Amino acid sequence: MIESQRHSYHLVDPSPWPISGSLGALATTVGGVMYMHSFQGGATLLSLGIIFILYTMFVWWRDVLRESTLEGHHTKVVQLGLRYGFLLFIVSEVMFFFAFFWAFFHSSLAPTVEIGGIWPPKGIGVLDPWEIPFLNTLILLSSGAAVTWAHHAILAGKEKRAVYALVATVLLALVFTGFQGMEYYQAPFTISDSIYGSTFFLATGFHGFHVIIGTLFLIICGIRQYLGHLTKEHHVGFEAAAWYWHFVDVVWLFLFVSIYWWGGI
Amino acid sequence: MAMAMVRSGLRTALRGGSRAPAQPKRNFSSSGHHDDAYETAKWEKITYVGIVGCTIFAIYNLSKGHPHYDEPPAYPYLHIRNKEFPWGPDGLFETKNHH
Repeated sequence: MIESQRHSYHLVDPSPWPISGSLGALATTVGGVMYMHSFQGGATLLSLGIIFILYTMFVWWRDVLRESTLEGHHTKVVQLGLRYGFLLFIVSEVMFFFAFFWAFFHSSLAPTVEIGGIWPPKGIGVLDPWEIPFLNTLILLSSGAAVTWAHHAILAGKEKRAVYALVATVLLALVFTGFQGMEYYQAPFTISDSIYGSTFFLATGFHGFHVIIGTLFLIICGIRQYLGHLTKEHHVGFEAAAWYWHFVDVVWLFLFVSIYWWGGI
Repeated sequence: MAMAMVRSGLRTALRGGSRAPAQPKRNFSSSGHHDDAYETAKWEKITYVGIVGCTIFAIYNLSKGHPHYDEPPAYPYLHIRNKEFPWGPDGLFETKNHH
């Protein structure tokens, strides 16, 4: 830390990443709309925008890691701010999924006459919740146990055990995604098969996307643990990943009970 | 009262758990509180039990094979097509069932 600094707050340096991320988002949105409407150059602009966003994510988080791990800017009070920020982010994610559950219950509690007045709609063959979905529930719960194992290992200073635990967490996460992919492939309905398909794939698809994000987050934590970035006293990145992972786990439990189980009876 | 408890719990979690008390607390063997080494070993065991359970259930499940579904009648709310995608008439991953 700079010697003349007489406070424990982190005043960040000017950075090009907010504007580059914004431009990437703009290009992605405009390119996405152009692509979907078959405009010339739409696919190019969309790809460019996505590459821009991915690049921004990489270099911005690289900078954050340098500021925290190498330059020591993440003091106790900065860590508190980061935890509050991440908690609020998860709250916003809860609201995001709340909307999809709203769409599902709106459509399933009073099924319209257009779909035969029943749920699941006439002609929709549903997936058995006690096969792959229940297996996936067990896998995610085990993965949650493994991340708790990793947390205690970090707190106990057992560095190698923590890496093993994170490897176990990530492997279970990958198996979950694999089974979800298999289930999607074998599903007798698609996203364009009535409001059932729309709500099912919107909710479970966005959950799957969040599982992939959480898996990447945990992989990064595993690499950082291996490199010795995380200590007993300071491992905010890991805590955020663990909170995020539990959030994804809880969303799955709600999906399983309401969409797969109740919605399939 | 309940709100205050939730709030203080949240504050503790945000400050990184109750790991750094102002004065080091003594751990009595009968207090039910265990250290992180104990917790690590416990959760490691729970994880192994979970993995074994998942493996057994996965083998049982996959050996059953998956059910065959009959093609449903062409109800107007199934297989909805409003306009063509940039890559063609069908969704990228949905050419398997409807031809």
